[in-house]
Amino acid sequence: MTYDTLLRSSGVVSGESDLWCTYAAVRTLGWLGRVGDLPSPETAAGFLASRQNSDGGFAWSAGMSSDAWATYYCTQTLADLPTSSRGTVRASSSAWVWSAAHPDGGFAMTPGQASDVWATYYAVRTLVEIFGEQPPPALFDWLAALQAEDGGLAWSPAHAKGGASDVRACYYAVTAWHTATGGEGPLPWDRERLTSWLRGRQSAAGGFTFQEGDETDCLWATFRATGALSRLDETPRDPEGCVAWIRARLGPTGSFTRWPGYPVPDVWAAFCGVGALRELGAELDDLADGVVETVLSFRTPQGGFTYRTPGLASDVLTTSAHLMAGRLSETGEREALRWTESCMLPNENGIMYMPGRGSEVRCTLWALSAGAFEEDAPARARIAGWLTDGIQNPDGGFGYWEGRASDIVSTAAAAEILHRIGGDSVAGHLRDIAEYVASCETAPGQYANVPGGRSTLRATLQALRARHRAVGADGALAGEALARHRVRGGGYANEGNRVPDLLSTYEAVLAADTFGLDWDSGHLAKFLDSVRTADAGFAWTPLMATSGGPLADCLGRRLELRLSPERHTLPPLALS
Amino acid sequence: MHTLDQTEISNRVLAVLEKRFGDAARALTADADLSDTLPGFDSLAALEYVNSVEGEFGIEVDFVGDDVRHWFSTLGRTTEYVRERVEDMTA
Repeated sequence: MTYDTLLRSSGVVSGESDLWCTYAAVRTLGWLGRVGDLPSPETAAGFLASRQNSDGGFAWSAGMSSDAWATYYCTQTLADLPTSSRGTVRASSSAWVWSAAHPDGGFAMTPGQASDVWATYYAVRTLVEIFGEQPPPALFDWLAALQAEDGGLAWSPAHAKGGASDVRACYYAVTAWHTATGGEGPLPWDRERLTSWLRGRQSAAGGFTFQEGDETDCLWATFRATGALSRLDETPRDPEGCVAWIRARLGPTGSFTRWPGYPVPDVWAAFCGVGALRELGAELDDLADGVVETVLSFRTPQGGFTYRTPGLASDVLTTSAHLMAGRLSETGEREALRWTESCMLPNENGIMYMPGRGSEVRCTLWALSAGAFEEDAPARARIAGWLTDGIQNPDGGFGYWEGRASDIVSTAAAAEILHRIGGDSVAGHLRDIAEYVASCETAPGQYANVPGGRSTLRATLQALRARHRAVGADGALAGEALARHRVRGGGYANEGNRVPDLLSTYEAVLAADTFGLDWDSGHLAKFLDSVRTADAGFAWTPLMATSGGPLADCLGRRLELRLSPERHTLPPLALS
Repeated sequence: MHTLDQTEISNRVLAVLEKRFGDAARALTADADLSDTLPGFDSLAALEYVNSVEGEFGIEVDFVGDDVRHWFSTLGRTTEYVRERVEDMTA
């Protein structure tokens, strides 16, 4: 695959700061001893503070539920910023992190969800490094169960039984152990087999891949592998070759690119390149100026960072939203689709949120719904294979990305993709999806986003849609859910039946269409009037006067098109 | 039933905002836009604000029919909205 499309980036730019990019940028500056170069760090702190919820945890974007991922990245980045710049952040506590502790000794990404090693790593680092607390003793038994037969470590004990080792899982598990013990406690794994498996991921060229069978070395895998080995007091099979491979990723601007042939330096490459060289004890002084200058050029007016020069930092969700809202010219559509189709990692066949990041299920659904790969059957088959052979969890569900525990949003997105492109070979996988969906049922016909969560309209309708795609579902249950959450004046509410919102209303109409249920166009029109904004956009709720951004505008526009005489079909999207 | 005057309503709405936003709310003028003036006045905070006002005055807001983004955008408009709703209830 060539990545020339990414050079000029013909997708659509949101212009917003991204949480992970902000963490990676500040951490990179910190490793280089250059946080002092960051102009107005208080604006970065302000951006991070805007992600904090009233429960004390942090969320990926405003209005979403807290999760371990966002809580670690926000609290750690704030800790990396100068003390005097953190004034806008409310006092936090470890209570939210403990709310996601699982009885099996691991941690979940959100309370009630199954444990996975991503979440466990984030929770342990937050507890120990930010709050000075210790994780539960049962953590070590949970970590021990991650070792697969090949010696590597997997995302969860259930994944380990299936033999799915991954360099990232190794890094997260080893670092969780190292953080909890200071590297002094007994190692919960067979050291020799683990070290051997990790070293086996280094290619003759010097870089690393994530998993056995991957073909392209990348900086992300190289950083995680060198980090895991370093915490085990071990080194790569060929340390000098590794350093040389990493330094060969330096581009003309003086910063790093992700893998051979990838044309654009970005924040993740800088983070992984500097991080890996640091783990290897290699020289950094000669490259610091170029990396710092490049990273600082990724700042946005919001105060945080995006992944590359903000004017070119397109993302798949925003681009897909523009495509589905019909906001691009014919030429623009073609270029945007081509850009979207280039957003794949070399060793993963799903579509990423941003280029160079891991493939994500929801983004893949949005991109396909917008028209990506419509006339490329082999690419669609690769995507179906990525879902069924690569990232479906042992419980039958899907998480946002590989190794992340299952949730209904991602599982419904996967079911829609498989329904659309999967063919006959995915029937067994769809039945497994139905099993996961059943584990999220809280009362007959009512579902939560994760097992043990609270039931909501959106989770219920997504679960019923996923079941419908998998094994068939009773439309009457959808009808009952719609009746429970119908707001008298217009629209549908996610909880109760008083405060309608755009996302729940979209999901409600989509479910009604899916199950062939009648709905009232006047009721929908009144709701749309209440969220339409002066600039022809749409707010997420009637409470706000301004557009909720491209995603809200897309959903509102698609509902308008559904109401039009042509009755355009709603794309089967899942967002949150 | 005790009839509420404009000043009393305004003071009680302001107290609701002060409880959530502290010092930032104390300096509010009647026509200042809340989302521009109060840091963190996003859709979630707006929802909490409307719910708190409902609880404070024992009224129920129609989130679609009542144009909440207009009536709950400033202290003055909220006061006017509450006054009319309370009057409706006592009529």
